[in-house]
Amino acid sequence: MSEGMRMSIKLFIITAVAALALGITHAVTEEPIRLQNEQASVEARKGVLPDAQEFVQVDISEYKDEYPNVVEVYQGKSGDDTVGYVFKVISKGYGGDVELFVGIDAKENKIENVSIISHNETPGLGAKAAESDFLSQYTGKSAGSPLAVVRGSATQDTQVEAITGATITSKAVTQGVNSALEFYSRVLKDGGAE
Amino acid sequence: MKALKVFFNGVLNENPTFRMVLGMCPTLALTTAAINGIGMGLATTFVLVGSNLVISLLKSFIPQKIRIPAFVVVIATFVTVVSMIMQAFLPELNKSLGIYIPLIVVNCIILARAESFASKNSVFLSITDGLGMGVGFTLALLLLGSIREILGAGTWFGMPVFSDGFSPAVIMILPPGGFITLGLVLGLLNKLTGRAE
Repeated sequence: MSEGMRMSIKLFIITAVAALALGITHAVTEEPIRLQNEQASVEARKGVLPDAQEFVQVDISEYKDEYPNVVEVYQGKSGDDTVGYVFKVISKGYGGDVELFVGIDAKENKIENVSIISHNETPGLGAKAAESDFLSQYTGKSAGSPLAVVRGSATQDTQVEAITGATITSKAVTQGVNSALEFYSRVLKDGGAE
Repeated sequence: MKALKVFFNGVLNENPTFRMVLGMCPTLALTTAAINGIGMGLATTFVLVGSNLVISLLKSFIPQKIRIPAFVVVIATFVTVVSMIMQAFLPELNKSLGIYIPLIVVNCIILARAESFASKNSVFLSITDGLGMGVGFTLALLLLGSIREILGAGTWFGMPVFSDGFSPAVIMILPPGGFITLGLVLGLLNKLTGRAE
């Protein structure tokens, strides 16, 4: 057998064994990974709407054109009661897309909590938006009216204080929250959807 | 005895970051905080030990002329398998180290050690070399991450180190700060060890 032939066969064996190893690992881990991801996203949703026991995904395909920023909507239930809704929204930040969860308490018509799932904002500046110092400002705000970003101290209930040096990020998060509020008020509130 | 020498060779004499200047991409990108340095370092150590072990076992099987593609296949497979297993069965570890694992494939330290050490030495020594290199890499990233975090954010492992009057130099945790820190530390180490001409 020529040297080239022998090398080809050996490289083929190595890649075949590698492919087999990957295939077996994939088969074994596929289901656990899916469960882990599911559990992680349930926990993330619980983080913004702690009163809900289970989450039912709402079909929002007919609103896709009108609300392009709203990616997923979940109805948070406790028994047969609807306690609120969780929105996954995408907003354009300084360094790219900012993905956030917005939890709205349907009974009191207010924002329960906001959390940032992923972002590419500048460390030390925009990245501070993911910290509770900034995000806790949204908690308790009325879901009825859109929020505005102000520099310095907020003087009204509908205002959110911008992070120093990161106004674009602060606005991006607020816009994301606003699109969730709008979607909620227009589509979901008072039994707009099932 | 030889094993000890191999181990400390990786930590000091041939430190991957400060001596061989390998794997600069993760070094510059990830050392914005001390904890990131440790995370990336430990994940790399894990993969280094594993890939050195496999390559050393296969060294007589892999023909000399096609060793590089063979190494790349082995390393990429190993990293992918580790990443899938971590996602599936070790969610806590995956949460802290998971984001670094895919980046390790492009870290040339792994390939460099496969090529220059594991393909020529026994299994035991190769594992030791992987450990030594990994520890050296971890310590280097920890040092850079600590400097940048302390100066750029005013914290160390998330704990404030200065009084309130200190205003952090944000540039240190931005990309330019990475180059500045690396350059200064490299220069200082060369000066201290008498390497500078």
